Amino acid sequence: MEDLILKIEKLHKSFGEKVILNDLNINITRNTSQVIIGGSGTGKSVLIKCILGLIQQDQGVISYDNTPLNSDTRKEINFYDKIGMLFQGAALFDSLTVWENITFAIKSKSKSDLKEIAIDKIHKVGLDSSVINLYPSELSGGMQKRVALARAIAKDPQLLFFDEPTTGLDPIMADVINNLINEVIDKIGATAITITHDMESAKKIADKISMLYKGNIIWSGKPGEIERSDNPYVDQFIHGRSEGPIKINIKD
Amino acid sequence: MLNYIFNIPHAIGVNVLKLLAQVGKISIFFYELIFCIFTPPIYFKSFFNQVIKIGYNSLPVIGLTAFFTGGVLALQIYIGGSRFNAESIVASIVALGITRELGPVIAGLMLAGRVSASISAEIATMKVTEQLDALITLSTNPIRYLVVPRVLAALLTLPILVLIADVIGVMGGFVVGTQSLGFIEQTYIKNTLDIIQLNDVLSGLIKAAVFGFIVAFMGCYHGYNSTGGAQGVGRSTTKAVVSASILILASNYILTSLVFNS
Repeated sequence: MEDLILKIEKLHKSFGEKVILNDLNINITRNTSQVIIGGSGTGKSVLIKCILGLIQQDQGVISYDNTPLNSDTRKEINFYDKIGMLFQGAALFDSLTVWENITFAIKSKSKSDLKEIAIDKIHKVGLDSSVINLYPSELSGGMQKRVALARAIAKDPQLLFFDEPTTGLDPIMADVINNLINEVIDKIGATAITITHDMESAKKIADKISMLYKGNIIWSGKPGEIERSDNPYVDQFIHGRSEGPIKINIKD
Repeated sequence: MLNYIFNIPHAIGVNVLKLLAQVGKISIFFYELIFCIFTPPIYFKSFFNQVIKIGYNSLPVIGLTAFFTGGVLALQIYIGGSRFNAESIVASIVALGITRELGPVIAGLMLAGRVSASISAEIATMKVTEQLDALITLSTNPIRYLVVPRVLAALLTLPILVLIADVIGVMGGFVVGTQSLGFIEQTYIKNTLDIIQLNDVLSGLIKAAVFGFIVAFMGCYHGYNSTGGAQGVGRSTTKAVVSASILILASNYILTSLVFNS
């Protein structure tokens, strides 16, 4: 029997009449790297935001370690102390320095201890400790992503979320971020959930890939299996063809 | 024609529902704010930063506005008073006008333009760039971290700013009165001190605290509920300034009625 850290059952979310997640089911096994792929507007970000409690689902159950999550249980089990999140645009706090950003969620420590933790984490993401006193606006996009990654792993979380980790980066920096993600997952022994439409990134960091289409998981498998998939939707998506069963509504 | 007739109550209904929804949202935001103010933790560092930003940095603009308002008030009262030989009331009216009304209202409106807009734009930008979501994932309540320090700072610093504005405004009247209108300095000061009572100043300070709350609350509320990217940031800023200004003027009437009728 699989050791599940996260179980999502019949998750449903609509905005007005537009259905985003349609009775979605997915299980996340502990200590694996799960990548969810899918085109823009298929509900990837909404799925992560529902898990994190940033958006309230209409129906369905999200369980973390067999505890159904809601605003009360998230507080009871200190859910946010057990997770780390890398946002698409880094989402660093502009008014705080790099070290203050990294150690933001760590309470009851002296300033010198916090700086030491920040230096340790900044080394883990391959940056020099000289950046810790800079502000986010003084960093390049790639450096901001790395600092955001350092912030996500600052509390050695059990569950890591990555929202489009390579978007907006050049191919070399994207590869650097992918390697870093693999390294930090190995080092802290966390479970990772990544949403992306970057297939190179997906293949590089995933133990398991699932494809989301029209609010539901339509295919799941190992990275090596995706190329051999006979699912026409998967085939069209991973080869980036405009012709196929996935129709793009220009208005969208 | 029938359609047109039915459209009117429909439009009224839709707008009433929208208004009620807005009142509900503001009430929930207010409740969450009050809850966070009276429960730990309070972010003191952030509070002191906001005291500097909202209070200290607003001092030049409020001081200048108060000085010129006091000056122009002296001029207008002199011109008006000379029609029925009442020029001597200039110092008294300037002192009462500034401490009771113009000091708090002008300072409140200046703060609405300067601070409400800046708070709203800052929080709305944080929302657009997912920084509010990031706060939640870092075990931090955004209302506690962002809204409470700003509201408390505005609530506590605006009365101090108004006290300073009162002094500068009366000085503006004094400068114009003595240098341009020919009043004797000692007489002007004596008339000013004779007329001002503690209640005049205190009522202005109470108003200032309420206006400070309104300014920060409206800035935070509209920034926090901003939608629609960069355009949304602009819209929320405009809404914050307009709603804060209107609420300041409306609450000024209510407070004046309450304080001086009682």
